[in-house]
Amino acid sequence: MAGSGSAFEEAPPETAAPEAPEASQGLAAAAEGDAEEIAGRRFEEPPELPRRPLRRALLLAAPFAGLTGLLAVWEVYVEVRDLRPLTLPQPSQVLRHVAENPGFYAQNGWVTVQEAFLGFVLAFVAAVVVATVMAHSELFERASTPVIVLMQSTPVAVLVPIFLLWFGFSPWPKILTAMLFAWVPFVANALIGLRSVDVDTHELLRSVNAGRWEIYWRLRIPHSLPYLFAAGRICVGLALVGAVVGEFFNSRDGLGNAARVAQSRLLVEQLWGSVFVLAFIGVAFVLLLMAVEKRVLRWHASQAGGHRGIQA
Amino acid sequence: MSGRGPAVGANVPDDGLTTRHSGQPFGVGASAAVGADVSADVSDDGLTDAAAVSFENVSKWFRSKARLTHALSQVSFSVEPEEFVSLIGPSGCGKSTMLRLAGGLLEADRGRVAVHSRPPDEARRQKRYGFVPQHPALLPWRTVRDNVSLLCEVNRRSSVAGMAEHDKLAMLDAIGLTPFLDALPQELSGGLQQRASIARAFALGAPLLLMDEPFSALDEITRADMRYLLLDLWRRNAKTVLFVTHSIPEAVALSDRVVVLSGRPGRVTTVVEVALSRPRHAGVEDSDEFHRILAEVRDALRHGWSH
Repeated sequence: MAGSGSAFEEAPPETAAPEAPEASQGLAAAAEGDAEEIAGRRFEEPPELPRRPLRRALLLAAPFAGLTGLLAVWEVYVEVRDLRPLTLPQPSQVLRHVAENPGFYAQNGWVTVQEAFLGFVLAFVAAVVVATVMAHSELFERASTPVIVLMQSTPVAVLVPIFLLWFGFSPWPKILTAMLFAWVPFVANALIGLRSVDVDTHELLRSVNAGRWEIYWRLRIPHSLPYLFAAGRICVGLALVGAVVGEFFNSRDGLGNAARVAQSRLLVEQLWGSVFVLAFIGVAFVLLLMAVEKRVLRWHASQAGGHRGIQA
Repeated sequence: MSGRGPAVGANVPDDGLTTRHSGQPFGVGASAAVGADVSADVSDDGLTDAAAVSFENVSKWFRSKARLTHALSQVSFSVEPEEFVSLIGPSGCGKSTMLRLAGGLLEADRGRVAVHSRPPDEARRQKRYGFVPQHPALLPWRTVRDNVSLLCEVNRRSSVAGMAEHDKLAMLDAIGLTPFLDALPQELSGGLQQRASIARAFALGAPLLLMDEPFSALDEITRADMRYLLLDLWRRNAKTVLFVTHSIPEAVALSDRVVVLSGRPGRVTTVVEVALSRPRHAGVEDSDEFHRILAEVRDALRHGWSH
């Protein structure tokens, strides 16, 4: 460092003159992000950042406040309009019902979670495999694109009776439905991700004759992760929808079944209870996924936070 | 495009046999194409066998659906081992194409490109050169340290092991990256990112560097700074450098010779010798000799453009 330091310390003032006489001081200051500059500043105390505890507390509380606000408005609205529970029960009533029957919701919820989760994972694996082959073979891509468009535009729900014919009361009709609901966004995003490699980096790896698999693992897969996580957030909900739709048709358990039974017997509290628990499961899945995403994609711009002060 | 019979070994895809011996008698090729002041080095065929990089009557076209672009026409020049040679010319003159031909990333349509008398693709397979692209092209999920070792990690079949760990650390220190080894690329300024990109090429330990306008995205002051940093590394590590630029002061300050190209299709207009003493420091840019050579290159560029 000491040896080369002198060489590049004297460079800026001398070379700025002949080439760019109008180069301003502001430009010079902006350019100095170098080691010497930072080393020189090390001994200066950074200015105290303004601490705003109230703002921080508000930011932390905001998501809960939003949710509680919604429930409160709902609660008051039902009270004021004096609606019958069959039309719209109060959220407090629904929550009380869920709290009084934890075993029922836990058991049925667990069934639905398993179906949705398996469907989600199968969709992910199938999509990555198919997108990988598509990204490497133009022939395969051309052959498979119409099939994927066909699957995308067919209402998947209509296939459920067929799955029931094939698999009967086993969990598979529900798992397959969840998978089919989730897999199209996964395939589309995986393909874009695997293709979105930086041209310069790709050429750089070619310059040392990196193999196809090396480029796949070191370049394509990491580049596709932000796309896959974005798809994942959408697909969590879709997989749950798939599982519930599967349960609507024919099943003996699961929250979809609980809701269907409740509807036919006018058990309003159980109907709304199933909705609440499903919503909770969906949110829990998404939060889990976001936590993983935050760890894995620490390098990605999406993790920087769009608003100033969000990490304050 | 498929190589036919005997042409394969020489890395000449098609028509190589006919054109190499027809056309102008060799040695006059480049000078005949442009007429005016051509230095002896371009056409000195005796040197090409020992040369680190040599181009002999190289022509290149790019084909797309809409049109055929003539990128290079009958280009001949060579780079000696441990020499620093710049390619300069207006944008679209094919200088980046020449770099990619030298790296075996593209194939010549006519003529012959060689790296140490071997096909460039062989150099690529054996990791015999380090490539510095125009943008730093750092992997955003890797720290500076891991980015620098990227090229050593891939394609392990080739015998190149990369720089020894001790030398690598010394090189990183000289380039000023030691405090930033555990930083992610996006935490660095543009200048530091470009330093990491250069360090990555040096870390490969290859004898040849191919640099594609590596400083063009930097501001003028960082850029001037980087020149002498690069020269310092070059002096310590004894590399052959083929350097593409469109900055005249940059080419003159860095190079032993400046190959001046004319635009579309790219042709070698002239080769300017830079007889400035080494090692060079920023002060060299104030010397009369520097400005004389600067004017010479500028005139050659102007001549090539109006041609």
